[in-house]
Amino acid sequence: MKKENLWRTALAQIQLDISEANFNTWFKETNISTLKRDKAVVAVPNAFVKEWIQSKYHKIILKSLKDLNKSIKSVDYIVSHSTTTPQENKEDKKIINQMEFQEIATDHQTGLNPKYTFDNFIIGPFNELAHAAGSAVSDSPGSIYNPLFLYSKTGLGKTHLLQAVGNKIKNNIKKKRVFYIPAQKFISEIISAIRNNKMDEFKYRYKDIDVLIIDDIQFLSGKEKTQEEFFHTFNELYEKNKQIILSSDRHPKSISALTDRLRSRFEGGMIADIGYPDTETRAAILKTKAQEKDFSLDDEVCYYIAENIQKSIRELEGILNKLIIQQQLTQKSIDINTTKKIFDDINQLSTVSFTFNKILKTVTDFYDVGERDVMGSSRKREVVKSRQVVIYFLRKDLNYSYSYIAKKIGGKDHTTVIYSYSKIEKEIQKNNEIKEEISHIKENLMSV
Amino acid sequence: MNINILQNKLKEGLNIIGRGSSKSTSLPILKNVLLKTYNNFLNLSATDLEIGIKWWTPVKVDKEGELTVPYNSFSSFINLLPNKKINLNIKNNNLLINCEDYKTQINGISAKEFPIIPKIKEKEKIIINSSFLSDSLLQIIDIPSLSKVKPEISGILFSFKEKELKLVATDSYRLAEKKISFKKNNKDDFSFIIPQRTAREVVNIFKEINKDVEIIFGENQILFRVKIEDTNEPYIELTSKVIEGNYPDYESIIPKKTKTKIILDKDDFLNRVKAASVFTSKVNEINLVFSPNEEEVIIKSNNKDLGNYETKIKGRAEGDELNISFNYRFLLDGLNNIKSSEIIFEASDENSPGVIKPVGKSDFLYVVMPIKN
Repeated sequence: MKKENLWRTALAQIQLDISEANFNTWFKETNISTLKRDKAVVAVPNAFVKEWIQSKYHKIILKSLKDLNKSIKSVDYIVSHSTTTPQENKEDKKIINQMEFQEIATDHQTGLNPKYTFDNFIIGPFNELAHAAGSAVSDSPGSIYNPLFLYSKTGLGKTHLLQAVGNKIKNNIKKKRVFYIPAQKFISEIISAIRNNKMDEFKYRYKDIDVLIIDDIQFLSGKEKTQEEFFHTFNELYEKNKQIILSSDRHPKSISALTDRLRSRFEGGMIADIGYPDTETRAAILKTKAQEKDFSLDDEVCYYIAENIQKSIRELEGILNKLIIQQQLTQKSIDINTTKKIFDDINQLSTVSFTFNKILKTVTDFYDVGERDVMGSSRKREVVKSRQVVIYFLRKDLNYSYSYIAKKIGGKDHTTVIYSYSKIEKEIQKNNEIKEEISHIKENLMSV
Repeated sequence: MNINILQNKLKEGLNIIGRGSSKSTSLPILKNVLLKTYNNFLNLSATDLEIGIKWWTPVKVDKEGELTVPYNSFSSFINLLPNKKINLNIKNNNLLINCEDYKTQINGISAKEFPIIPKIKEKEKIIINSSFLSDSLLQIIDIPSLSKVKPEISGILFSFKEKELKLVATDSYRLAEKKISFKKNNKDDFSFIIPQRTAREVVNIFKEINKDVEIIFGENQILFRVKIEDTNEPYIELTSKVIEGNYPDYESIIPKKTKTKIILDKDDFLNRVKAASVFTSKVNEINLVFSPNEEEVIIKSNNKDLGNYETKIKGRAEGDELNISFNYRFLLDGLNNIKSSEIIFEASDENSPGVIKPVGKSDFLYVVMPIKN
């Protein structure tokens, strides 16, 4: 007889021998936690119950279990905390935009947030490949796609997918040690390990990991010491067939200032990208999010948002939060007109233009070159390229005249400016890499 | 049992253990108090199976015995008696109470039916003044919220490390940490989480006593014990379960560096936040604009229907300009628990937590997450 059935039948027997009040108080939330040959271990919710059952009901329990299973000779009791859960406080109404400490939601050992699962990950044509790869990896980590490299623009579900893979492995294969860490945190850990002379401790910590997940790996760009350490960690895990999963906002080829040996490692496994979701998928995502937040979303409103916000799922969620707040404030349900009005307000905000200095800084940061070199007369390849991109943005987004740009950028000839602008224009048409870089820089400009 | 005891003394004992007796339960015995004598002591116990409380007092015992009687009736009756000698006598599961010309009988239930309050296997022990412990707990006691997802944070963390005890509470929106220093080093570092309710009962029972309390930590259990002065005999014992599990890595929540810092008069700031709260909407949002160059903070709130509010408060400031919004309730909870006359308010950007600390002391810290705007 299985232990669950055994206990249920035993309880039915015990119930006959004692009063109902006693039975409900002492035997509520009990079960058999282990059953080994001649010994049964009964789990009880707290120490009070343990003391009482042991002293008052031990004989009855032992007898009932013996009657059902002849081999049981003794019964032990342990306190098991998992059987009780505190009641949720219903009074606290959640305030939508109140931020939380991320550290509390995440699991102590794995760094994973249990809310990210495959169940609430919405699949569409845009992320099918990435989802399939992630799902395959979570079924048999370390054996098929290693490393798995996912890339997409921000706010399209990379982190969700990464963590879902981690959570699934953790829940399915209890023995596997999963560890999730954002690259920024990884970098600061390395820096503090170096500073405090604790590099050995750091290495030791990563030695026994079965599944290492690093988010936003592009932040390693330009951090040579970190890249070196990561390279060693990577190799050690890889050689032991441990699964490595990485994410980035761009293809490994487009990550600047990354050593070639790391880049080739990244490209050695499976690379999958997540594109932009189509309107239907966006609407489906919105519906799911609204449901999670207990908010009834009108179909018309849903499609209006899905059609107007195309680039990021995070933005979809942002709008949804705005609508929920609006509804809380006005106590009226949200219709299409209110939605349109909210969109108008937002559009007015986002047309704020950027300045010359901001363009210069963002572009030089991106290509990792000096601002002064760009303003000067260096003919180094990456400097020339950055200069051309700066000119491109000045013309395209700030509508500066060619001669004004020539003057601004350190007294160049205005024909150089015209040439630079048209060169980038053309490149964008035919060279995918440049196109991607430009859209990244644009995003960086918008984000800060 | 046959004993004599002063009404006042018995009343005290009943008051203390009353918090442990169950208010509503399927098992009537849990509404009872256990009276028991041995070695010239009277011992009262009550439990609701979550916590158990025991109280002792020396009495002259003419005949040993034990019995349980309904707590509510027994204590209400004792409260009404004059402060004179009371004689308690047990006959056939009935408690006979004689005091001057009052003669009463309460029907009891046999002591054998009463739950055993578990003994603790002592692993670690610390000793601290009970009033000081209660005051410290009061500073953070209201913060935890009951959560199904994370039962660990529904309690209060006691973390003992070297010469310091840290009491920590969080509800995932804010976090408070209270530090208590000890003269002696403990052998080992250890930590445990007690339920919020247990912390409340500790405060209720021990705050006024002002004696040393031993905190004894054992498997699954925690015991708070005060002894009768100059003896090794127990006076009050509170036993409670502890919350199993690992407390989150809370230290990583506390910002190590911040970009903006201002020192403000606490009461002035508190009043202005309260005033701003009148004009908040349902979201409870108030907006703080830090201008270190002007040495001031602007406090703003806005309610579409009611109107809006704006005020400036001067303070010694340094760092960057910053515009950040908070739930005013969370700010008040922090400010109200700071004892100093001036506070330091620190923050970095509109998406990172703010920190409120007393000036001149480093024993308290309050971290709060902003509201996104």
